[in-house]
Amino acid sequence: MERAREIEVLKLYRVFRGRKEYAISLLALAVAWEIASYIFPPYAVPSWSIILKTLISLDFTHAYITVIRVLLALAAAFAVGFLLAVIMYLSRRIERYILPLVNLVMAVPAICWVLFAILWFKEPEFRIFFVLVAVCGPGFLIDILDGMKNIPRHLREMLVSFRPSKNQLVRKLILPAIVPSILTTWKINLGLAVRVVTVAELVGTISGIGYALNFALGNLSLAEIFAWSLVLVTILLSLQGVVYMLEARLLKWR
Amino acid sequence: MPRIVVENLRKEFGQQKGEQRVVAIEELSFTIEESEIVSIVGQTGCGKSTFLRILLGVDSPTSGRVLVDGIEPYKEFDKLKGKIAAVFQEDRLLPWRTALDNAKLGLEILGIPKEEQRERAARWLDRLGLAGFHNAYPSELSGGMRQRVALARALAIEPAIILFDEAFGHLDEVTAARLRSDFLNLSKQQRYTTVMITHNLDEAIESTNRILVFGRPAKLLADINLSYVDKSDLAEVYRLRRLIQSVIESNRPLESVGAQTF
Ligand SMILES: Nc1ncnc2c1ncn2[C@@H]1O[C@H](COP(=O)(O)OP(=O)(O)OP(=O)(O)O)[C@@H](O)[C@H]1O
Ligand SMILES: [Mg+2]
Repeated sequence: MERAREIEVLKLYRVFRGRKEYAISLLALAVAWEIASYIFPPYAVPSWSIILKTLISLDFTHAYITVIRVLLALAAAFAVGFLLAVIMYLSRRIERYILPLVNLVMAVPAICWVLFAILWFKEPEFRIFFVLVAVCGPGFLIDILDGMKNIPRHLREMLVSFRPSKNQLVRKLILPAIVPSILTTWKINLGLAVRVVTVAELVGTISGIGYALNFALGNLSLAEIFAWSLVLVTILLSLQGVVYMLEARLLKWR
Repeated sequence: MPRIVVENLRKEFGQQKGEQRVVAIEELSFTIEESEIVSIVGQTGCGKSTFLRILLGVDSPTSGRVLVDGIEPYKEFDKLKGKIAAVFQEDRLLPWRTALDNAKLGLEILGIPKEEQRERAARWLDRLGLAGFHNAYPSELSGGMRQRVALARALAIEPAIILFDEAFGHLDEVTAARLRSDFLNLSKQQRYTTVMITHNLDEAIESTNRILVFGRPAKLLADINLSYVDKSDLAEVYRLRRLIQSVIESNRPLESVGAQTF
């Protein structure tokens, strides 16, 4: 599934981040590409100069719109997931009823959500929003719920023995304890959302990177497709970079 | 009235269908007076921690009852707010809080004014030898230092009753002895009622006035008053140690072991 793959990508990235091999192999790939561009025609393997020229000429409002869509939908998915997770944490019973549904929602491939969105909704913005929330919401929910459940029982007991109010228990134990899970789930869902948003933007909309990619495909412009891919990767890495920075600041106690 | 009253206390686990039933506490009845320092010894798995958790109010008796200052800790949970605190084998510090913030956790929950929280927590850390480590995170402290923070956290609320569950068990003997004696010195001034679970008979004999020996599952095998024991008489301490050991091993009440009573 998409989500599992996202976790793998993050794991790999963590292993390689900051190593010199990371830069070296990327550089080697770029060089190999350049060499290939001399051998193959430009419509199959465009050279770096063509790609860079294309990159500069791109209309970046598409990128801007895509980022806004991703962030808005993720914020909504996070809010819903968080709320449900809290409710499920507080009531075993509700959890037992909601979990099977979550499991079902998670098993549906992203492309099916896109199709459902097309069939169910007219408004293109809402279609995209719906797809992103459907794909990312359950991940937020499960990760946050796990984070809460993994709070060590003995820490909870220690805090409870001081006789706190419910509110104090949440503020002093539960919220700080799930900060690491929240940051991790954001990284995973950012990756997932950036991947899925482009698919959702392929249909019925006239803006966003997905649309631009589809347009480039219509023109058979590999350089443009390649340039947009670079933009997508950059967006994802910078968004995740922001989360890494937050992590360094909030989790300095580690 | 005694500070702690234990009456026909019984605790079983696995009341739900399909669960294995375990008797953790068979029958316990005794009282503990104000500012007594009592230790509890017994075989592993005999229900000592279970007893302490019931005393702390985080678990309920199956039958019988426990009274702390006339209050049932589990049923009237909130009424003991600020009166009782515990230190466990693991430090149970919140890893995202500095030593100072950990030490003031109980004070925050009690709603003490902010300035006073800081000042009181800092004073306890200093008293326990942690001046200069107020801003360290638990991950930056040694095991002994972390345990001192846990002790400061418990003592900062100035509880009437303090419970130890093998609180010094993870520490090396030198660190444990020093921490123990630091606590005992404080205890003389503050007159805490102290209940201390330990695996270490020397610790029990050295630092407390009274030893309760638990059988397995928990029942009172012996209640030994140490006020008349000359702790500097090594032969006597040795005899006492052997006696307690034989009671624990036989799992039978002291009388039937056939030894002299102290
Ligand atoms: N939450 C629980 N559910 C089921 N059984 C439990 C639970 N807590 C304790 N027990 C059982 O109750 C018995 C007493 O356990 P307890 O932890 O009180 O022993 P203990 O005297 O503290 O042992 P130790 O000296 O090893 O710490 C054990 O048989 C244990 O398995
Ligand atoms: Mg125990």
